[in-house]
Amino acid sequence: MRIDSIDKLSRWREECRRTFTAPQRKVFVCLGEACLANGAEEVFHEFQKLVAERKLSDVTVESVTKTGCHGFCSLGPLVIIEPDGTFYTKVGKADVAKIVDKTLAAREVIDRLVYVDAGTKEKKVDYHTIPFYARQQRISLRNCGAIDPHKLVDYIAVGGYGALAKVLATMTPQQVIDEITNSRLRGRGGAGFPTGRKWATCAQIEADIRYVICNGDEGDPGAFSDRTTMGSDPHSVLEGMIICAYAVGSPQGYIYVREEYPLAVVTLQKAVDQARERGLLGQNILGSGLSFDIKISRGGGAFVCGESSALMKSVAGDVGEPRAKYIRSVIKGLHDKPTVLNNVETFATIPVIIERGADWFAAIGTKKSTGTKVFSLAGKITNTGLVEVPMGITLREIIFDIGGGIPDGRKFKAVQTGGPSGGCLPENKIDLPVDFDTLTEAGSMMGSGGMVIMDDRTCMVEVARYFLSFLASESCGKCVPCREGLYQLLQYCIKICDGVGTEADLAQMEQMAKVIQIGSLCGLGQSGPNPFLSTLMYFRDEYLAHIRDKKCPGGVCRKLITYTINDECTGCMACISVCPVIAITGEKKKKHIIDQALCSRCGSCYAVCKFDAIDIK
Amino acid sequence: MHDLTKIQEIIDRAPRSSGSLIAVLQDIQREFHYLPCEALTATAKALDVPLSKVYSVSTFYNAFSLTPRGERVVRICQGTACHIRGADLVQEQLESGLGIKPGQTTADMKFTLEVVNCLGVCAMAPVVVIDDKIHGNVRCDKAVKLVKKD
Amino acid sequence: MHLTINGKVIKAAEGEMLLPAIRRQGIEIPALCDHAAVEPCGACRLCMVEITRQDWNGWRRHVTSCLYPVEEGLIVSTHTPQVLEIRRTILDLYLARCPNSDVIQKMAEEYGLTKTSYEIIPEGDNCIMCYACTRICEMLGKSAISAVQRGHKKVISAPFGKEPPDCIGCLSCAFICPTDVIEWRDQNGTRTIWSRTFELISCTACGKQILTRDFADYLAAKRAVPREYFETCDDCKRVELSRKMGGLVDLAKEVAL
Repeated sequence: MRIDSIDKLSRWREECRRTFTAPQRKVFVCLGEACLANGAEEVFHEFQKLVAERKLSDVTVESVTKTGCHGFCSLGPLVIIEPDGTFYTKVGKADVAKIVDKTLAAREVIDRLVYVDAGTKEKKVDYHTIPFYARQQRISLRNCGAIDPHKLVDYIAVGGYGALAKVLATMTPQQVIDEITNSRLRGRGGAGFPTGRKWATCAQIEADIRYVICNGDEGDPGAFSDRTTMGSDPHSVLEGMIICAYAVGSPQGYIYVREEYPLAVVTLQKAVDQARERGLLGQNILGSGLSFDIKISRGGGAFVCGESSALMKSVAGDVGEPRAKYIRSVIKGLHDKPTVLNNVETFATIPVIIERGADWFAAIGTKKSTGTKVFSLAGKITNTGLVEVPMGITLREIIFDIGGGIPDGRKFKAVQTGGPSGGCLPENKIDLPVDFDTLTEAGSMMGSGGMVIMDDRTCMVEVARYFLSFLASESCGKCVPCREGLYQLLQYCIKICDGVGTEADLAQMEQMAKVIQIGSLCGLGQSGPNPFLSTLMYFRDEYLAHIRDKKCPGGVCRKLITYTINDECTGCMACISVCPVIAITGEKKKKHIIDQALCSRCGSCYAVCKFDAIDIK
Repeated sequence: MHDLTKIQEIIDRAPRSSGSLIAVLQDIQREFHYLPCEALTATAKALDVPLSKVYSVSTFYNAFSLTPRGERVVRICQGTACHIRGADLVQEQLESGLGIKPGQTTADMKFTLEVVNCLGVCAMAPVVVIDDKIHGNVRCDKAVKLVKKD
Repeated sequence: MHLTINGKVIKAAEGEMLLPAIRRQGIEIPALCDHAAVEPCGACRLCMVEITRQDWNGWRRHVTSCLYPVEEGLIVSTHTPQVLEIRRTILDLYLARCPNSDVIQKMAEEYGLTKTSYEIIPEGDNCIMCYACTRICEMLGKSAISAVQRGHKKVISAPFGKEPPDCIGCLSCAFICPTDVIEWRDQNGTRTIWSRTFELISCTACGKQILTRDFADYLAAKRAVPREYFETCDDCKRVELSRKMGGLVDLAKEVAL
């Protein structure tokens, strides 16, 4: 049934709200990708089955809701019981019966499943009190983990499409642009361009058609916030895009989703179909006269397609080769028409800015970087997952207070931000505030929010090699500095990792890096040398150790280390079974030996040894 | 020889424009586990796109393979978080356990090994995806068993 | 409009790119992927120049002059030390990719390079990846060949590396190639290029081979030219025309008398 007026939408919202809040208690089962990988779907079905059988007064089958990603991925599968906020971690299918009996029926807490702070050993039942959540301010992630992403009624119940109604009923397109401009919102995809200015430029150009594109490419390895938003709160993205379409005057939008996110494609398509069915997309939206539709465009698997001109070529069905951006894509974009391209997080934030006002948003964060930012915490950190925090928070707070610090008794070494366009910052830089500009001045960048933590068992030269290898394989190949330059830079880096690099090589690399930065056609090449340059700036001693001493301080570069078994060895044979080159010999309960001539230095034995019996020199 | 009617069905499902090229190729890839030559020729004709462009697109993007893939596709993520958390070790175990390198398929056509640059499940690094099923926190000593039993 | 190039104020037309405006001043800039017959693509990066404006307060930018449109008040420098360093490094990289190419060697020598500072790429040949061949083929409306693969493995190829079905044997790609990489051969009434063999049409008057049958068919259809036009070569057409013209002169004389 089409909702063809704003009044009808308000009335429908009341119905949805009644249905959504009817069960007094709700059981949210997180079905984000990480929890899903750990069996969350079975947990969900078991809840449905047992709750139906049990017939409790305040918990019905309707209470059991599967949600998108709640954010605390390292502790999944997660089950949250509202309104108490009871937070259960690592829930297995076998735990469900107990939860139903004890927590749902008898209101008792099951200690074993409760969160325990790794440092203080304190138990915290309500997730609002857990530092990981307490220090967040969830704006773009507001609904993730709180609604069923496949149900439009849930989105409506929690206020969804209210911002769109407000815009269509009470604001002119120029007023919308002014509001976004006044919020000082900057694009969340990495470049941080003022969103209001982008919309204003697009709206002012005379054209027979304008396009709105959502960049869901999220190619930065280590970043997964956009995947989460697309899969957990798809309508928030649609709503942001429709508001943009109204503001700039566009009839057609696209959401470009990378090939590696098939679930997000399915969820978004479902959301688009639902919105169309209800008249929230298509002709004459809510009876306002605005007509706008959205197509999902699937990427083919190419990091370079995160770049705006390459993305638009891909939407048009071509290879993702960027063009020189002397004429910006807001002026000549898709099919050479004015196009607004914004990131998923940017669009998901728009409805909130409209509802709560530009001033409210601008008061969060810092003067030049207003609002919040979502960060994907991963790597050598205790708490992995997704956090949304006000801009201006320090790296130290994110890594240690929210992230729980470094696990396994190891030491912090570096934090990598901004993906392959960013860099690595050492310990003496982690009191820097996170925003668009400060990290860039320090030689890295905030980027799209990927944050990979590295401990002392990381070799920074190898990290540079990794990124160069990634970029060389993802380069589109059109221009010489990127295609040939990054390749040659990689060859030099491999030489250093292998202990055959020279200081003259290092000088060549620095010179080459500068030329690649200036000479490349697009952002991939221009920022490609960043990981190398930042690791060189902060960890030059490691490069020199590889070159002068033929040593790898991080204990990683294979040609420069050896693995030997010490006297802690109990003879358990675990290492023997994983050695890919059969270099370890030994009998049960007798100390094993590694044949240095055969050993490939892969480190598999070190990874599986439970007795610290393997030394890396 | 492949079923041309199946190929035609896939092409007919998409809007008849050059913008549909990547989506059509993906559906063909999913159906046949690779892109057969005749499918590319048929696609070029139906969407009125030069064959050279269809060929460029199918060699540019990671999603496509011009050679038949195995029944099960094993993808190791080599994103930054996975790399830091030991994806190399998982990759080596899989290479030696399956006897193939990334990009190759076992002789019995059962397994194809591939490397992916980030699947977005970084919180559970290292990650291996077998067909569409995601496996997180994969230990290097359990990797081969994971693939063989699944 | 007016802009400054190497300190001299010059006039330029709205919509033109910096490169032709620079060349008009007699300033030489290398530009390997630039060709009059095709649209610029900015792939080689050799034509990079430094630009700035009065109101940029000393901030400068480097752009490829083949693709940057002229602007009122722009200040362009074509041979700053940084620009020269960029060109030199790019040519150095080219030397690693195309060590045997005369064109690259000559250009590199002008920038003080006799051999590459980097690792020579084993599979490198003389193709400089300027995309002139694919651009001209696309412009003709055939798009028989294209750039395939990505990054370092990128090469120019026919689909599947086999005979390109859309090729008409016109040789435009071979002629436009600045390093003569594209091989072709005419012999025994056939032409072979990109592993495909075409039948050549011979002039009905003198027997000289003119063009391929496919090319003739294509031109006839595309340009609405009668197909018979291609049955005689240009020389014989001239002979025929002069015969007709001669006949007209005689006729004119007759009529005048």
